[in-house]
Amino acid sequence: MKQITIDPITRLEGHGKIEIFLKDDGGVENVYFQVPELRGFEQFCVGRPVEELSQIVTKICGVCPGCHHMASGKAADAVYGVEPPPTAKKLRELFYMAHFVHSHIAHFYALAAPDFVVGPTADPALRNIIGVIEKVGIPIGSEVIKQRRIAQEIQALLGGHQTHVVMNIPGGVRKGLTTEQRDDIVKKAEGFVEFSKFSIKLFKDVVLGNEAYVDIILNGPYALKIHSMGLVDENNHVNFYDGKVRVVDTEGKEICKYGPTEYLNYIAEHVEPWSYLKFPYIKSKGWTGFVEGQDSGVYHATPLGRLNAADGMATPIAQEEYEFMYKTLGGKPVHNTLAMHWARLIELIYSAERSLELAKDPEITGKELRAPLDKVPSEGVGIVEAQRGTLTHHYWTDEKGIVTKVNIIVGTTNNNAPICMSIKKAAEGLIKKDTEITEGILNMIEMAFRAYDPCFSCATHSLPGQMRMELVVKDKEGKTIRKVKRS
Amino acid sequence: MSLKQKVLVLGIGNDILSDDGIGPRIVQQLEKEFVPSLFTFQTATVGGLEILEMISGYNEVIFIDAIKTRGGVPGTIYQLTPENFSETLHLTNLHDINFLNALKLGNTLQMELPEKVRILAIEIVEDLEFSEEFSPEIRKKYPAILEEVRSCLRQLA
Repeated sequence: MKQITIDPITRLEGHGKIEIFLKDDGGVENVYFQVPELRGFEQFCVGRPVEELSQIVTKICGVCPGCHHMASGKAADAVYGVEPPPTAKKLRELFYMAHFVHSHIAHFYALAAPDFVVGPTADPALRNIIGVIEKVGIPIGSEVIKQRRIAQEIQALLGGHQTHVVMNIPGGVRKGLTTEQRDDIVKKAEGFVEFSKFSIKLFKDVVLGNEAYVDIILNGPYALKIHSMGLVDENNHVNFYDGKVRVVDTEGKEICKYGPTEYLNYIAEHVEPWSYLKFPYIKSKGWTGFVEGQDSGVYHATPLGRLNAADGMATPIAQEEYEFMYKTLGGKPVHNTLAMHWARLIELIYSAERSLELAKDPEITGKELRAPLDKVPSEGVGIVEAQRGTLTHHYWTDEKGIVTKVNIIVGTTNNNAPICMSIKKAAEGLIKKDTEITEGILNMIEMAFRAYDPCFSCATHSLPGQMRMELVVKDKEGKTIRKVKRS
Repeated sequence: MSLKQKVLVLGIGNDILSDDGIGPRIVQQLEKEFVPSLFTFQTATVGGLEILEMISGYNEVIFIDAIKTRGGVPGTIYQLTPENFSETLHLTNLHDINFLNALKLGNTLQMELPEKVRILAIEIVEDLEFSEEFSPEIRKKYPAILEEVRSCLRQLA
C-alpha cells in the first residue's frame, strides 16, 4: 500500500466543465457547458421485473433518490393500470415532502447562502457553509444539521432507508404508519414549519435587506425571459407528487397542460454535437435555438418555474410568501434567475406545511396500503416534480411485467438549455473588454449555474459526488487564460 | 462497546456502476469476516453532510472509495488522510459540500467527530457504465485488493 500525497487528483473526464471563449477584444464569443455521460442505464433495466425498478433507480443518483423512487413507483402503478389507495398516496407524499425539506435546506445553506451571506466576491476560502455559520452563529448551523437529519429520519422511517428507498410497490406501499410514529412526525413537521419560516426571514434580512444584493438579483446579468413549467393540482396550485404538468409562456399565459401519458405530445428533445445531455423544448414552439422570448421553445422547470406555472401555493404561509415575492418583484411571471433561491425557500415552507397537514390527516394511519393488481401490465408513465425539475419515467413491459424499454427525462435535463443560456448571459454581462477576470467574477458566473441547483448525476446518468466543476476561460485561439476548479 | 471504541469502515460508491462499487463490495465481504465488537461496517453513495452524520460518534473511520488519477495503475490502493488529498470519487459532492469542509463544519459545530480519519482509495478503470460486474482489470485484481484491505484492518484489530 502506498502512502502518498496527491494534489490535485485529476479526473478531467468526470468534471462538469464550463468553457468561455473570448473574442479578440476580450468580450465573450461563446460559452459551452458540458457534463460527462454515463452509459447503459436503460439497457441495465431491460429484462428486469418492473417492480424492481423503483429500487434500482434510487442508485442512479445519490442526490435525488426519493424523486426517482416516486416517479418510478407511479410509472409502475400506471404499467399495471392501478391507483393506490388514499393512505398509500398520502404516505408517499409525506415521504416526498421530507425529501424536499432536506434537499432544499441543504441547497440554501450549503450552496446559495455563501454567495449572499458571505458575499459573491468574498475569499473562496470563506465563501462556504462554514463562513455562513460564522456570520449567522453556531446555534443556527446546528439547527440546519438537525432539521436536515430529522427530514432524513422521516424518509428512513417511511421509505425503509433514506437513500436506498424500498417504499413503493405497484399499487401502493409496503408498510403503514402507527399512531405513535404519526405523533412523532407531527412534532417534527411542526419543527420544519418553524425552521422554514426562520429561513425565509433570514433571506429577507440578509438578501432583501442589502441594496447591493437586490440590485444583483434585479439588474445583474441574471434574467432569462423563457417559459415556465411545473406540476399543478386541480386548483393550479404547486404540487410535487401528483397532478398535471402546466407550461406558461413568458407573459404567464398557459401554453399547455398535460397528464403523464401525454408528455410526448408536448415535449421533444434537441441534440447538440458538443453535449451528451439533450435539450428538451416545447414541441408546439419547436426548437428555436438558445434564444429567449415569446417565440422561443426553451422553458425552465425550477422552483421559480414551478411558481410561475402555478396560480398559487396550496398552504397558507407559503401562499403569503408567494404573493409577497411576486409583489416585491413586480408581478408574474418573474424571470430573474437568482429569484430561484427565493422561490426555493417558499417551496421549503410549502413542503414543511404540507408535511404537517399530511401527518395530521386521519387517513395517514389507515390500513389499506395497496390496491389489487388485476390487469395485464403493459406501459406506464409517472411524473413528479424533483427539486431540480419535472421528472418523467416511462416504462414498457411485456405481459408478465418484464421491462422491455425505459425512457427517463430527469429534472435537470429540462433546464439544460436555460443553464447554458444563463451562464452565457452572466459571462457576457461580467466579462467586457479589459475586464480583469478574477475569481470573484468567475464565481458570479457560476452563480447563474448554481441557482438551478443542477444535478447531472442522473441527467447524464452520472453519479453525484464524483463530478467537479471546472470553469475555463480561453482566448480566440483556444489557449487557456484562466481556470477555476470547484469541488 | 460504545461507538467511541469502535472503528467505522465505510465503503462508498454505487454497486451498479462497474468498478465504482468496489468500496461497498469490499465492505460487504469484510463484514462477514471480522467480529462486530471492533468494527462497524457501512456503505454510502455520497459524501458531504450525509457522511458527516454517519461518522459522528466514532473515534476512528476508514473510508474505502474509488479513485481515478492521471496515469494511475488499476488496483493500486492509496492510503490518504483528509489533509493530503483533493478528492476521491465520492467524498465530494456537487450538490453538497466537500469532505474537508464537512469535517471543518463538524468541528465548527462541535460535533463528536473521529480523531482518526483514513481513506483507502482504490484506483479503478470504469465508472461510466452501468453494470454489476467489475471491469476485466479490476475483476482480475480484486482478490489482491481485498486481501490488502483485509490486512490493513487486521493490523488495526
